[in-house]
Amino acid sequence: MEDKLRDIVRQLLGGGDMVYFIGYCEGAGLHHVVPCFVADESEVDKLVWGPLCGQNLGKYVLRGKDSEGRVGLLAKGCDARAIVELVKQHQIDREKVVVVGVPCEGQADRRRLERVLGVPMEQVTKVEDAGDEFRVTVGETTRTVAKKEVLLDKCIHCQHPVAFDFDFTLGDVVPYEIDAEMREYAAVDELEELPLEERRAFWRKQFERCIRCNACREACYACYCKECIFDRKEPRWLDRPPLLPENELYHLIRAVHLAGRCIDCGECERVCPMNIPLSRLYKKVQKDVAELFGYEAGMEYDTVPPLVDFELDDQDPFI
Amino acid sequence: MALESDDQGGDGFEPKILVFACNWCSYAGADLAGVSRLQMPANCRVIRVMCSARVRPEFVVEALSKGLDGVLVLGCHPGDCHYSEGNYFTRRRGLLLKRLLEYVGIEPERFQVRWVSASEGAKFASTIEQVTKQIKDLGPRRPQRTIQPTGPGER
Repeated sequence: MEDKLRDIVRQLLGGGDMVYFIGYCEGAGLHHVVPCFVADESEVDKLVWGPLCGQNLGKYVLRGKDSEGRVGLLAKGCDARAIVELVKQHQIDREKVVVVGVPCEGQADRRRLERVLGVPMEQVTKVEDAGDEFRVTVGETTRTVAKKEVLLDKCIHCQHPVAFDFDFTLGDVVPYEIDAEMREYAAVDELEELPLEERRAFWRKQFERCIRCNACREACYACYCKECIFDRKEPRWLDRPPLLPENELYHLIRAVHLAGRCIDCGECERVCPMNIPLSRLYKKVQKDVAELFGYEAGMEYDTVPPLVDFELDDQDPFI
Repeated sequence: MALESDDQGGDGFEPKILVFACNWCSYAGADLAGVSRLQMPANCRVIRVMCSARVRPEFVVEALSKGLDGVLVLGCHPGDCHYSEGNYFTRRRGLLLKRLLEYVGIEPERFQVRWVSASEGAKFASTIEQVTKQIKDLGPRRPQRTIQPTGPGER
């Protein structure tokens, strides 16, 4: 699959129409995959694809907005949903993006992998897909790890692992079997069933930890505002110290801003240094939007986002 | 204005409630209630906005997280909006926000949306009375302004 990817990218770059391609390459070592920009044919060979390519590349496409030519992108299902949303939100032109769809079979969570394997990631030299498990090479030995133990949360519940709108594709997805009993919104439902007091205590514990490093915002494809309201001085929405009321404000406003736009790529949670379960917050809004307005972000070009639309007979049971 | 309510709870608790009233209906309704000399509790601070859709969710969240005890958004009845469709957006947003606030442990009574038209002075007064009573029963919403250093949690 990597060969096919490299061929496509080489061809695209050779055509002179694409200025650069955004994909993944090795970072600090074989165990560490980072996003990379390939602008020259000589660099094409560094592109990789595997189960450690969890990052959402949608954010980087925004950078190519004003470039001369087109920008290429390796798109898993979630990256492709980001592209659809960015086009819908008039941030990029679909014509300016070359989407190379890749069948994603689930991405591994580095932290979970370390925990299950019991060795630091530095010793891992290779992670391969093998149906419903990963084949991991640690030093000389090869071990297998069940996918459901080490997948990123977003991948466990992933409904659309393949891009539906692409210019090139690397093949069809090989279906893999994971625990079907885990419902998509299980984590949200579980919290919803708790009494109010316990929910408050739960979120207070989470928000208290937040150091407001803004990593969640920076990693989010949907946070493209030139001036974020949290950075604004006048009016100042947010006081600087990362105290509970400010943190609560920060996360709730982010959740509201992402209503109907969150594509559940899980980047916020992945990059959080304090391990705050942010997707449980955003998934709640996602669930409500689906339940109340029957809308799912990133799936179609021609549906109207729920909060810029209304029905005359919308329900108002809360009034 | 200090945002936190003055009282420390208990029987003498007087909540501070922020009311956003739409210029064309609810604010006129409040006016009517005043001219008609209707009695209502004095816990509300009214802010006039041009339309209930002007109330960004940020307004509500900020008020609540900075220590106000409740937020009430008043707008025209659906179909009566001065700008034709503003309150339809309020309705969708309000519903989402209310569910979210409830999810993070804020009592649903603390954020309410009501429709009050310009001729409904009595409804304005009774709404204020009702909401004030509900929030009084809940007690103060005191945010904690302490720093508690904690390490990253378990994933």
